[in-house]
Amino acid sequence: MQHCTFPRLSLSIFALCCGCIFAASTIVAEPAVPGPEKSEMLPLRPAELVHIGKFTITNSMLVTWAVAAGIIIFAQLAMRNIKPVPSGAQNFWEWLVQSLYEFLENIIGRDLVKKTFWFFATIFIFILFVNWFGLIPGVGTIGWGHYDPATGAFHVDRPLLRGGNADLNMTTAMAAIFFMLWFVWAIQAQGVGGFLLHLFGPKGETSGIVKILMIIIFFMVGWLEVVSILFRPIALSFRLFGNIYAGESIIEALSNMVPLLSWLIPIPFYFLEVLVGFVQALVFMLLTAIFTLLIAEHGPEKAH
Amino acid sequence: MNVMIAAASGGFTAMVRDTAETFGWNPWLFLSQVISFVIVALLLRRFAYKPILAVLEERRRQIEKAQFNAEKIKRQLAEAEQRYAEILTRANAEAQKMIDEARESSAHLAERKQQEAIAAAEQIIAKAREASAIEHERTMESLKRELGRLVVDTTAKVTGKVLTAEDQQRLQEETARQLAS
Repeated sequence: MQHCTFPRLSLSIFALCCGCIFAASTIVAEPAVPGPEKSEMLPLRPAELVHIGKFTITNSMLVTWAVAAGIIIFAQLAMRNIKPVPSGAQNFWEWLVQSLYEFLENIIGRDLVKKTFWFFATIFIFILFVNWFGLIPGVGTIGWGHYDPATGAFHVDRPLLRGGNADLNMTTAMAAIFFMLWFVWAIQAQGVGGFLLHLFGPKGETSGIVKILMIIIFFMVGWLEVVSILFRPIALSFRLFGNIYAGESIIEALSNMVPLLSWLIPIPFYFLEVLVGFVQALVFMLLTAIFTLLIAEHGPEKAH
Repeated sequence: MNVMIAAASGGFTAMVRDTAETFGWNPWLFLSQVISFVIVALLLRRFAYKPILAVLEERRRQIEKAQFNAEKIKRQLAEAEQRYAEILTRANAEAQKMIDEARESSAHLAERKQQEAIAAAEQIIAKAREASAIEHERTMESLKRELGRLVVDTTAKVTGKVLTAEDQQRLQEETARQLAS
């Protein structure tokens, strides 16, 4: 019984994702055509490399590991010989982390940033470098494939590496983990009663019949808020996935447009994707930080 | 529109499954990614952020301590300056007081000495006057005596008679009375 609970639960979550997509986008309005994907197009599904029971290691997962390993190695090397006056790698790493820390501190406050910085820093730095890693030549073009007898060209069917955020499973995983952490931080900050009051409680100072009316209205508005909160991780994951997948698809399409100039034509779009990668990492981090701030901050009546 | 019709006609679950299939979303792939990301995030927290955050926290603490010490030194310096100013003011006041006292004392002394000098001078003058008066008196007495003797001698010579002791006495007294008037 427990065996089939997880797929049902996950399917329910995905149903919400689809609801969001149907409401906001026309992408899904056109039903997907079943059948084999063209080799020129970037597949939506990541390639499965290794199976461990029901769990799978995909090519996008390899990229996330490589990026995480790269960040950890760089951080360890940078902090190996700590100098009072930093220089080189230590200087860069300190600048990056400190700037991010101060940036977040200005948004969500000193107390909250102490507790949550590790997650938001991971979100920003990790997403940023995963996005940029996906632009390195070889990602998506090195792997297992076949020779096309008609053209004599080699087509990669199962690439070794894939842009981490061009995999919806990856972005929904990050959004789901954020959602869980958000709930934990909200309960820590407000308590269960405070959390429910934050969602359903009436706001403002009223009395008499107006107060009763406001309680009813805010209770109903609270359900809208719940729906809005449930859709946040879906919007986060689809926004990131959509932008990164679209960028990689454009670059791949442009690379295949004129075979002789496949090295030249995508170059402007590489610059665009560098910017998109940064903006999307920033947007994801900012939105998650603001969602956390909105639920964890105390009202003015509590602040006193 | 097709989607809405499909959803309305009860094929929502099938549509969701189709969409998940289209996007390559799979519950087990999703769970694999969740586990992978949790591990990655925890490793990054432990090995990438913890050392740098410890360094930054230490540096922030040192800066705060240095700022606190600087403030303390500044406060102490201000207090020392204030104390110095107070001491200087007090010393100036005391010095001024001493000068005033010395001035006052010297004035008193001068006054006293002047008074003493005046008194001494007056005393000297008085003594001189007294001595002068005595001398004058003595001279006058001598003069009287001498004049008396001269009057007696002259009278004796002029009259040619020997004057008796009473005559001499009377002439001398008459002369003295004439001189005194």
